Amino acid sequence: MQGADEGVTVAGKRPMILHNDRPEDLETPLRYYDSWVTPNDAFFVRQHLPRPAAIDPAAYKLTVNGMVSKPSQLTLADLQRLPQHTVPATLECTGNGRGFYSPKVPGIQWGRGAVGNAEWSGPRLSDVLKLAGVDTKAAFLEIDGADTGVAATPDFVRSMPMQKAMHPATLLALKMNGAAPDIHGFPARLIVPGWDGTSWVKWVIRLTPAAAENKGFFMNPGYRYPKYALPPGSAPKPAELEVIEGMPVKSSLTSPEDQATLKLGPTVIRGFAWAGENAIERVDISTDGGSRWREAQLSSQKLPFAWRLFTLNWTPADPGYYTILSRATDTAGRVQPIVPAWNPSGYLWNGIDRVGVTVEKA
Amino acid sequence: MRLALAAFGLLGAALAADQATLDAGKKEEARSCIPCHSLRLIHSQRLSRAAWGKELDKMTGWGTAIKDRDALLEYLVANYGNDKPAPPPDMTVNGK
Repeated sequence: MQGADEGVTVAGKRPMILHNDRPEDLETPLRYYDSWVTPNDAFFVRQHLPRPAAIDPAAYKLTVNGMVSKPSQLTLADLQRLPQHTVPATLECTGNGRGFYSPKVPGIQWGRGAVGNAEWSGPRLSDVLKLAGVDTKAAFLEIDGADTGVAATPDFVRSMPMQKAMHPATLLALKMNGAAPDIHGFPARLIVPGWDGTSWVKWVIRLTPAAAENKGFFMNPGYRYPKYALPPGSAPKPAELEVIEGMPVKSSLTSPEDQATLKLGPTVIRGFAWAGENAIERVDISTDGGSRWREAQLSSQKLPFAWRLFTLNWTPADPGYYTILSRATDTAGRVQPIVPAWNPSGYLWNGIDRVGVTVEKA
Repeated sequence: MRLALAAFGLLGAALAADQATLDAGKKEEARSCIPCHSLRLIHSQRLSRAAWGKELDKMTGWGTAIKDRDALLEYLVANYGNDKPAPPPDMTVNGK
């Protein structure tokens, strides 16, 4: 990486939207979203803390301690010997879309691109925990990544209810789209399908089954959401903030881009939709600001955890300015709201997506 | 006349002090923020005075020894206040 004057380069990444270069916070430009699987070189990056020094796979050790009968130091070979599973899942930063909230809130001002869909492969987290003889009475799993904070910045430690840790789709991924996860958490990162990106700890070096939830900054007050909706701009009551788990239903328009100019004629409206732990049931599109809606065509994979691509053929009748909207509905009947609830950290933006385009005479 | 001149002089001093405060704030930013993260993280945000104040409190809690907090806050509000438009973010250079 270089200084700002020379431009910032991140090894292995195409040109990305740069929110922060130290540590790296990179957003995917919408034009890269043209496939069901987001290529690794286009996948967004969110770092809370500086990236840890490169981990030597031969020296890598995963500590499993706490409420286990066999406290263990597992090697990468131990993890590779366990049955390997592949789970397609959409990973979204908890703050994706924060930049759309008004009033503005502190944090990376993400647009639509802090999200991607990948095929993650590795052992089930439950199999890793069983190797160490996990105590079935443990209520939570605490997870630590190899990244550590500068000065007194808190260490990135998360915990999740044991029920989610033991879910068959929850993996300790050694591969991302068939390749080493590199900046995305090499050699091992958590895959917590349907849950917010913050739960997907990178560079996992310790797993600790415990009786209680971790009380560190990244569990409380970090990454909490108001139990009761707040007037925009107001302060939350700390006792009424809850840990974020599953993600809401959402769609994003990728083409045409906001404020694009199109020639009068047939065009295709494209995007993707996802719904946390559910699958996408339908996506509706409006090209007239929401008066009339038409159902979009969806890609065939209808899976929990993974997004579906949508398209709608559109031939505008006249030149002029059009407001295009997309609205997703999931298999549990959840529908994207027009106005997502403002919250002081700008999490879980899932408003009906909206772009404006100008259509000119051909 | 003498009174007017004196008032003008005071006003000039006040403006100079403001600029000096902003310069001091910029220096304080370089001194206390850069060790842990790039300035892009700050300059991409547009926050109210109260919100910037909270950020400084948070960073102090995380071990940043901010010497001239008042100047830093004035500088942040003057340049990155929520009444200022945010420029579009830069792109990285191709790293492939």
